[in-house]
Amino acid sequence: MGLMDVLKSFKSPSGREIRILLLGLDNAGKTTILKQLSSEDIQHVTPTKGFNVKTVAAMGDIRLNVWDIGGQRTIRPYWSNYYENIDTLIFVIDSNDKKRFDEMNIELGELLDEEKLRKVPVLIFANKQDLATSATSEEITRKLDLDLLRDRTWHIQACSAKLNEGISDGIAWVANTLKPTTSSSGKK
Amino acid sequence: MTTTATRHPDPKMSERAESILAGFKLNWMNLRDAETGKVLWQSTEDMADPKKEHKAHVPKNLLKCRTVSREINFTSSVKIEKFRLEQRVYLKGTIIEEWFFDFGFVIPDSTNTWQNMIEAAPESQMFPPSLLSGNVVVETLFYDGDLLVSTSRVRLYYD
Repeated sequence: MGLMDVLKSFKSPSGREIRILLLGLDNAGKTTILKQLSSEDIQHVTPTKGFNVKTVAAMGDIRLNVWDIGGQRTIRPYWSNYYENIDTLIFVIDSNDKKRFDEMNIELGELLDEEKLRKVPVLIFANKQDLATSATSEEITRKLDLDLLRDRTWHIQACSAKLNEGISDGIAWVANTLKPTTSSSGKK
Repeated sequence: MTTTATRHPDPKMSERAESILAGFKLNWMNLRDAETGKVLWQSTEDMADPKKEHKAHVPKNLLKCRTVSREINFTSSVKIEKFRLEQRVYLKGTIIEEWFFDFGFVIPDSTNTWQNMIEAAPESQMFPPSLLSGNVVVETLFYDGDLLVSTSRVRLYYD
């Protein structure tokens, strides 16, 4: 399924923006994912010292607003300024950065404890699957204790932002999750 | 319509506006055809500098785009709580288009990219480029909440 088909599948009766927040440790690949979503060149990605916001596509009244906030330690305290009106949280993982899986677990845990993000579905991108030594999404599920999550709609998607593989599958999951008809919870 | 940022009567507010402005720099800006992603115009001039009217030469086929993607990259040394823009397009002094963009919180000492979609009003597509060129001024007002930080004016030439 192409990205345009994915975007067409979003239901947006009120014409509101679908807001996606991209978070994760530094060097996880958040900006590369954002650039792939908007079909931009990924050659010159530098560490984000703030944010990148893009309206990835607008078709009729459908707008996918993606907020990529820098992941460096000094920037993480500011993440909480961007939790308002978020429809989906995407947490990006460098699957090859095994030394920092504990740090990712802590950061993700803190995000999941946030009151403002309590009802927000979470997509985990297990990025950098193009590297032979990367952990699989099953390993990451274990390392990040994802199976222990309760009262949370979540999904892990293996991907390679560099090769643009798995990204649109992840966005398709977001689309399906936000569709009002498939929701059994209170989320409209 | 005033062309420079109006001084806030409260000196503290005026001071805050000045400190935001002093630490604010527009690093680059581009315009793309949102449907093809093709860059139509880019500039590294700081068009947010309020001290002068800026000039921009843009290709005239920009006028045919139904949706234009505008991307700005800016640096702010101070925190901005509720960053937002108001943009008005004047043709010979009359407003022909008006856009409002809300961003929100800006991290101190940050460099940020902000891209959004601008849908052209159908009316503005009715004017021929020769009539518009040199007669269109885009006025951008930078706000922190209700506090006017700066006003930038860019005169457009359609080549």
